[in-house]
Amino acid sequence: MASRLPTALPRRPTTSTLSPFNTLAPQTTSSTGIIPTLQQTQTRNATLIRRPKRPYTFTQVIQLSDGSAYTMRTCSPHSLYKSSKDTRNHVLWNPSEKTLKNIEVDEAGKLAAFRGRYGRGWDAQSPEVEARPQAAAPGGDAGNKGGDGKKEAAKADSSFEEKFDSSYDPLGNLISQYSVGVPEDKAAKAAKPKK
Amino acid sequence: MALREVPRSARQLLKQPSAWKPSVTSLSRCASTEAGPAVPDVETESGLMTPIVEREGITIMDPRKRASRREHELPHSRYRYHPPKYDRGPLHPIQPPPSSDPVARNFTPGPFNLPRLKQTYHSTIASDILTLTYQHKPPGTPEKPERIRFRSWGDETPYMENRPKRGPRGAEVLLPLEPDLNYHNLPALKAVHVAMYAPQAKKNPDHLTVVKTIMQTISGVRPTITHVRQSVAQWHVVKGDRTGVKVTMKGNQAYEFMDKVIHLVFPKIKEWQGIKGTTGDGAGNLAFGLEPQDMMHFPEVEANYSSYPQKMIPGCRVYVETTAKSDRHARLLFGALGIPFYGKLVD
Repeated sequence: MASRLPTALPRRPTTSTLSPFNTLAPQTTSSTGIIPTLQQTQTRNATLIRRPKRPYTFTQVIQLSDGSAYTMRTCSPHSLYKSSKDTRNHVLWNPSEKTLKNIEVDEAGKLAAFRGRYGRGWDAQSPEVEARPQAAAPGGDAGNKGGDGKKEAAKADSSFEEKFDSSYDPLGNLISQYSVGVPEDKAAKAAKPKK
Repeated sequence: MALREVPRSARQLLKQPSAWKPSVTSLSRCASTEAGPAVPDVETESGLMTPIVEREGITIMDPRKRASRREHELPHSRYRYHPPKYDRGPLHPIQPPPSSDPVARNFTPGPFNLPRLKQTYHSTIASDILTLTYQHKPPGTPEKPERIRFRSWGDETPYMENRPKRGPRGAEVLLPLEPDLNYHNLPALKAVHVAMYAPQAKKNPDHLTVVKTIMQTISGVRPTITHVRQSVAQWHVVKGDRTGVKVTMKGNQAYEFMDKVIHLVFPKIKEWQGIKGTTGDGAGNLAFGLEPQDMMHFPEVEANYSSYPQKMIPGCRVYVETTAKSDRHARLLFGALGIPFYGKLVD
């Protein structure tokens, strides 16, 4: 690397009289063999222009689990990629989809019998966690959030009539929250109607 | 004036000969004086008058046949222009063509497609973010003064006068201020950096081959090898060991990679909740990691997964560089791209 840098290399002592540096500062080479001082001349050596190495890319059709397809440039030589699991059939991206939630299949009633016999201390977790995944998917759950927002707005409308004047915009604080960056818990508190 | 008294003929002699004397007008020819025939502004003939060329009407000779019937040989390829192999600096008479020129040695063809995620970004995401972050300001609202983070040196001594302002107290790094989002500074993907680390490569260099291959297939870019920066005795690594691989994707490739990761890889990971909410460097660059067992979910790795030695596949770290100036804005972009976050969000 260092050899590539033009300034790192010492310049060869030149004997040509055409160089202007020789006339300005004559070399101090003497017969005693003292090494001449390093000249303050910049050198620009040739740098190789490399051909970029690019792996071959194919055009691949990608079929998602819901049947939609699109093309992509990829190194994989297969012309078609069929996806079995992707964002279209994942709960995290489709929180309102009932069919994707893993509801236990208990046709024979064996699980119910087990619970009747041994109790349900082993799955006595908070039922909220079961009902809804913890993480909120910002891309996919627009429908769900929208529903919540409507309910809240309806509640808010009834309660705000007496509190504030009619010029209050229930969505206004939501928008400003994104632009200013209110911490999430504060924002949630502000959005909930006070009881 | 003495010059007035001399006769006209002698006045010419006394005058200083000027170098800027205009030439005799009769002898000069100006290009502008000879205006050609007037060019009509509007074409007289309609473009619709040209005959329509049908596919059947075109006769193309078979190129192979044409080559065989050619009487004279085509000029040898050595008569073609070949760009110089070396760049000898801007002052050298022989200059290489720019890299955008198809004959240049460092020419990269493309783009060959418009990535789906990029299309989505420009059609939907950008306007969504713009709407989300809009904050109405009534006209006439005074602008908030910018937070001054540099400290003054104090004006006790004249010695400090005209000195550049002192840095902020505490942090060494001055992070960028979060600007108001506008149509021209919306957060977008800039680059994706992927790195893989395989310390076993020190003992067995085959690890490096596997890692390089996987990295190249998932990214589509030739990877570069990374070295150990610092010796750590407990980890049995010595400074300078070749133990890793890295890649930088920009532009379309970055979008394609993120598309692949978001829509095909993340959903296949077991028990995946999202990206950690605490990620981010404070300047709008977020990062996440993939475990070794997640690498098989990439469609390129899945295509010939059996050909890789399974134990040699490491995980990878992905750093996503965005044009956002704060982590909050970058997270807004990630959310719009379809990446969920879990845990505490740290801005």
